[in-house]
Amino acid sequence: MHRIVLFVVYRMLMGPLLRILLGIKWKGAYRELKQQKQFIIVANHNSHIDTMALMSSLSFWQLKYTHPVAAATYFGKKKWLGWLTRFFVNTILIKRSHEGTGPKALDVLQKYISKGHSLIIFPEGSRGEPEKLQAFHKGIGVLLEQNPQIPFVPVWITGTGKILPKGALLTVPFEASLTFGVAQFTKAKEVQDIVEEVKNAILNLNATFIP
Amino acid sequence: MPSIDNLNEIQQMIAVIFGVLVLASVLFWTMGKFNSGPQVQELKTRTKSWWVMAAIFTTAAVVHPAVSFFAFGFLSFAALRELSSISKNTRPEDRSVIFWAYLAVPVQYYIAYMGWFAPFLIFIPVFMFTWIPFVLVLKGHTQDIARSMSVIPTHLMLTVFSISHLAYLLSLPELPQFNAGGRGLLLFVVFLTEMNDVFQFTWGKLLGRHKIIEKVSPNKTWEGFIGGLLSTIATAFFLRFLTPFNEFQVLGAGLLIACSGFVGDIIVSAVKRDFGLKDTGTAIKGHGGILDRIDSLAISSPFFFYYTYLLCYS
Repeated sequence: MHRIVLFVVYRMLMGPLLRILLGIKWKGAYRELKQQKQFIIVANHNSHIDTMALMSSLSFWQLKYTHPVAAATYFGKKKWLGWLTRFFVNTILIKRSHEGTGPKALDVLQKYISKGHSLIIFPEGSRGEPEKLQAFHKGIGVLLEQNPQIPFVPVWITGTGKILPKGALLTVPFEASLTFGVAQFTKAKEVQDIVEEVKNAILNLNATFIP
Repeated sequence: MPSIDNLNEIQQMIAVIFGVLVLASVLFWTMGKFNSGPQVQELKTRTKSWWVMAAIFTTAAVVHPAVSFFAFGFLSFAALRELSSISKNTRPEDRSVIFWAYLAVPVQYYIAYMGWFAPFLIFIPVFMFTWIPFVLVLKGHTQDIARSMSVIPTHLMLTVFSISHLAYLLSLPELPQFNAGGRGLLLFVVFLTEMNDVFQFTWGKLLGRHKIIEKVSPNKTWEGFIGGLLSTIATAFFLRFLTPFNEFQVLGAGLLIACSGFVGDIIVSAVKRDFGLKDTGTAIKGHGGILDRIDSLAISSPFFFYYTYLLCYS
């Protein structure tokens, strides 16, 4: 049931809407992504549109087992909002590191990975100033260090910060694009190096233009 | 099998369009067998996009008019979106004002669909040219506001006001003794504008020596322009069954389409160069796509529309 709801929402409604009305283009290895069994999508973050567009890139079989990771303080503020994002966006809500007690965020994510699920992670942590890359948090490095058998898929997103920037409600059509890299395994061994590697993989997609 | 004389004007014209496309495809395919240089490849990709364009335009022209209005409206919307996205001249806080500009698209096309001539004329040049500056002022950021005030309405002129004239052709009243009607005029102006581009390109490649404006568009030569102009006028003469014009008027229409199409082409070229999308001589793939397709149409369609209107409909 959940699988069908997600399929209808993302593949039948959101995907065509983003393409036709908002003018978002999919570039690079986005078709190859659909063949992957388990992966961690790593992307830069400008807008809520990013999550919608990445979810729309997934296949019927992947949707239910792929979770965008979001901050509990933002989406979990109200109970109904938390439920909605969990059901319709399939998110895992985690606590930011400096906030209170409870299970550690990385342990939660690790549990999902051990079950064979995939993740969508924005290592910048939150949507920053549009079109400016912020420092990456080290969580992605820890996850990939603990799970070197899982490939990461770098995605460079540009333009979505104009469509729906942080703090705005009005969605305005502008051309934007998602450039997908191929799924790859980390070569680095140290957490900090892995973070650097992932960051460079994303930035390289920006530099090497893929039609 | 019906002979070509038994078909009505619109069917004849569609036969001509697809005939030209088949000819071009076969020609370039054969050329590609002997010589697979980048120029032949370029011609091949161009022909491919012409097939898509022709299919869209003819479908839109023969099915229910409402579908045509919707199709042209979407074309305007996509062109406006592209121009707003690549423009360096709007500020980040202009987002909501650009949203108003998008809203003008359905309004303008609804007016065109209803055939309200005076509102059609004034909605963008008078009303939107006031409304956009007004909402900009209400937002209260005056830094660089004059630039946004002039640029956003100009985007509307170039992508919405201009292209909506193609749609309005379908709302023109019927004339006695003129069977092809608005659809005929639509096919006439679109086909000639696009053929003019092709003629200019071909003559320029064959004979081109003297550049017209090298800094903007290095491929434009006097030889190409004049060759294209004469070829377009000749083609217009043979296609006069699509128009209510007499022999002289149709030559004038050909001349007007060739000149205004050329002007539209170089205006958009210059704009794209300003936005840094043409620095390498070739547009970045995926950018400037729709604008590239409608550049000459954006100017030739209103010019052709008023030429026709003043000669035959007023």
